[in-house]
Amino acid sequence: MEEKILEVNFGPQHPSTHGVLRLKVKLNGETVLSAEPIIGYLHRNAEKLSEFNYYASNLIFMDRLDYVGNHNMELGYVLAVEKLAGIDVPERAIWLRMLFAELNRIASHLVWAGTMGLDLGMITPFFYAFRERERILQLFEMVSGARLTYNYISIGGVYNDLPNEFDEKFKEFVNDFPARLNELKSLFEKNEIFIQRMKGIGILPPEVAKSYSITGPVLRASGVNYDIRKISPYLYYDKVDFEIPISHGMDNYARFEVRFKEMEQSLKIAKQVYEKLPPGEYQNSLYKKSGLINIKGAGESYVRTESPRGEFGVYVVGDGSKKPYRVRIRSPAFHNLSAVNEMVKGLKIADLIATLSTLDPVFGEVDR
Amino acid sequence: MRDTILFTTIEEVLNWGRSNSVWPFTFGLACCAIEMMAAQGSHYDIARFGSEIFRASPRQADLMIVAGTVTKKMAPRVRRLYEQMASPRYVIAYGSCATSGGPYRFGYSVVEGVDKIIPVDVYVPGCPPTPEALIYAINKLQEKIRKGETEK
Amino acid sequence: MIIEEGVLKDGTKYILVEKSTLIEELNNLKNQGYDYLILMSAVDYKKYREVVYHLGSYNDNRKIVLKVRTEDDILQSSTPLWGAANWFEREIYDLMGIKFEGHPNLKRIFLPEGWHGHPLRKDYDMSKKQYVNMKEDGTDLVSFNPEDGW
Repeated sequence: MEEKILEVNFGPQHPSTHGVLRLKVKLNGETVLSAEPIIGYLHRNAEKLSEFNYYASNLIFMDRLDYVGNHNMELGYVLAVEKLAGIDVPERAIWLRMLFAELNRIASHLVWAGTMGLDLGMITPFFYAFRERERILQLFEMVSGARLTYNYISIGGVYNDLPNEFDEKFKEFVNDFPARLNELKSLFEKNEIFIQRMKGIGILPPEVAKSYSITGPVLRASGVNYDIRKISPYLYYDKVDFEIPISHGMDNYARFEVRFKEMEQSLKIAKQVYEKLPPGEYQNSLYKKSGLINIKGAGESYVRTESPRGEFGVYVVGDGSKKPYRVRIRSPAFHNLSAVNEMVKGLKIADLIATLSTLDPVFGEVDR
Repeated sequence: MRDTILFTTIEEVLNWGRSNSVWPFTFGLACCAIEMMAAQGSHYDIARFGSEIFRASPRQADLMIVAGTVTKKMAPRVRRLYEQMASPRYVIAYGSCATSGGPYRFGYSVVEGVDKIIPVDVYVPGCPPTPEALIYAINKLQEKIRKGETEK
Repeated sequence: MIIEEGVLKDGTKYILVEKSTLIEELNNLKNQGYDYLILMSAVDYKKYREVVYHLGSYNDNRKIVLKVRTEDDILQSSTPLWGAANWFEREIYDLMGIKFEGHPNLKRIFLPEGWHGHPLRKDYDMSKKQYVNMKEDGTDLVSFNPEDGW
């Protein structure tokens, strides 16, 4: 019997992709020989449209880039513009930004946990993860009024202060969450089928990861100790106490462990930040509401932040007028996805889907 | 013959049956897909209205919820998937990008609304609309089906 | 050959190099320990295009910016140095129109195959709309005629 190579198209619409991804897969029987990703089905030209708007109006595009970790996206753009235009931010606003960025990291990893279960055929973790996420979204709705696209972190501070009901709900959430996180984790860890499907699959050696500019939990699961919050701290990350979880497994199971430990560390940071919140102003008074139109900047700037998927930043070029000249977005999921071909050679089709789900791509960010 | 009393009663019974078990088709493209997934969760449960399972294949689904921006590269694929669904089929345009292009309307690669490609029954505005809006849209669609006014 | 040196608005040091010595300078920096290609972007200043490389290190928090200018839109590819340069250069070719010599697979990445023009340039005409359809074998067909597609 001669071997025939079958070329299959995982189309843009498929039950197991986290969005619109197309893969051209070459198969020999059920073994994958190569998988080439084709992207661009959600190219919404955020970079070109940002050149026609004022600096503060571009926040709507940044919000919708990584639509499960929105506060981190807004933070990357706002920090770059503040360096460019020379704007000061009051103390309370910096601590509030940290609090919401960490809560959003927990919410983003919960979406990952739910959809990873769905890709492998487990439906129960989806309901458990989304139930926890509802409690975090209720906290966000109290402060900014929206459940998904908040537009909360704005240039010069934050948009609104904490209302009175926030205290009780936040303390309730922080007390209940560790036990529920352990319950969600035990659905995966104690399942023999899950362990056999994830251990030893999708190996990514650290040299390959460094050459493809991969950052975030995918890199930390290959043994490299690199987190922007410790290496070049922004906001007040050098004043709180937390650890960076690392694993040397290099496989899907290592990426799963690293993300669950990150959720515990984020909760620890959020508790410390809430205790240290000082009283004061929440926004620079020159730039409240209609003052936002007067922002001008000349020069170039880029500030690095750590989003749930890796290093995120926005390179802003200004020419002295009220609208930016060029806005260039560095998206971490774009690079995490480019290494798929290296990780799946020799695996079966079902393993390809499991590997893709642990890379956690979000297509608003990959295609911009 | 179609308008006699025998056939209209059978049509009414069939429409009542179709409206109470509308199975959606997973077509989440962008941010609105996360709100559609939250509507399937346990807090806002749309399984109580008959949409028990979200099927992945267009040949097994009745309702296509287009959630997210439709770009020009994706547009021919949307048309092909709509043509693969079996009649009677319904379409909900969920979110302002699917209704009219959304905040990205003036771009070079965005289709201004999914109704330039396929016929739509219910439009839901919002960016993104809350899951309660999706439940209201499904209720309006069920009323339309019972009256027999949908676009086939 | 370094033409100019300075400091940007956010405190990072930058160097502007000549086009013919681009790969040599990048190799120098990589040997000094800058093994992380953070970002590669292209900016259109109407008389010339400028490609900006942000380089960092996986061991500490050093950062440096390298710039190179081109008027005829052809540069050397840096894929032998970093694997990440593959998709970066495809994106810059797609949206800005700069060709990289020596790239293994220089095709469009975001826009469909037959698109006319490069959108991020300042002289791209946004009022001329293009329409996309799909041929029977799955490849894309792009034209200026609104009857042909969407």
